[in-house]
Amino acid sequence: MIARLLVVVLAALVLAGPAAACAHPRTALSFLEGQVMCPTCHTTLDMSEAPAARRIEAYISRKIAACWTAPRIEAALVGIYGQAILAEPSHSGFDLLAWWLPIAGVLGGGLVLAFGVWRWSRGRDDEPPSAAASGLDDETERKIDELLAQMD
Amino acid sequence: MTGRLRLVAQVAALACVAGLLALLVWKLAHQQHAPPVGSPAPTFTLPVLESPSPVAAGSVSLSALRGHPLVLNFWASWCVPCKSEAPALEKDYVRYRDRVGFIGIDYHDLPSDAHTFIDAHGLTFLMLADGSGDVTGSYGISQVPETYVLNREGKIVAHFAGPVTDPAFAAKFAAVLRRVA
Repeated sequence: MIARLLVVVLAALVLAGPAAACAHPRTALSFLEGQVMCPTCHTTLDMSEAPAARRIEAYISRKIAACWTAPRIEAALVGIYGQAILAEPSHSGFDLLAWWLPIAGVLGGGLVLAFGVWRWSRGRDDEPPSAAASGLDDETERKIDELLAQMD
Repeated sequence: MTGRLRLVAQVAALACVAGLLALLVWKLAHQQHAPPVGSPAPTFTLPVLESPSPVAAGSVSLSALRGHPLVLNFWASWCVPCKSEAPALEKDYVRYRDRVGFIGIDYHDLPSDAHTFIDAHGLTFLMLADGSGDVTGSYGISQVPETYVLNREGKIVAHFAGPVTDPAFAAKFAAVLRRVA
């Protein structure tokens, strides 16, 4: 009985060993699946069922089990497949455009919209009241003015 | 003032449209197609995955192999048809290796998986790694396996968009090998 217990405890220690050996929290496959592209189908791994994507997932799982961090795994994949394996463009060189252009587009669009609204509201304020605005013709307007004058 | 602002806005809008059009044209112009038979094979330099003989630089350039007929076979370990094609290619390599160079180009693959594939199929010809797929792209390849046969001048004499063991290609591949050897 004691021998059996010892075997179970030893087995648990052996199996738990690799998990406990990491000096940092392990990264998750589900996280990296959204960061890494399938090279043959050009979607992220979590969107792909392609054989190449399955192989990369298996590779990532092995590296996670070996306590590799997410940046290290990504760097290794970039070394094999090139920068295009990462879903996010890099933060340097020409790739910077991918980060700044959407921001510039939103800011530019906002400015154009704000300017348009400002112009539109100013135009409405400056507009003299016209007959067309009340929906009455000039003759009716004149008669109403006369009636109002009589009432005064 | 208002007129000038309107002009600036119109010019900016036109510039945006012109920029988008330029991007579209650039994309269309840079789409990669299979080089036609008779044209020079796109050049490349790729790292060696496995070689029957030691390679000093650790990489091989196509230009350095000019002067020999070549078979360029694009494959990947995750490619199912590549598994049935591999033994036939090895057989042809053993038969023609004194006269024709065989090069396997492993595409979008993990080196460990590629080595496992090479060992499992007993492949002994020169294997290069194209992890990024740039070279494979320059040959207009999107599906593997595909095979190009080059003559001594480095010009493409045949292109097989599928396994060379396919009944549609097998006889022609054998004939092309006999002709260039």
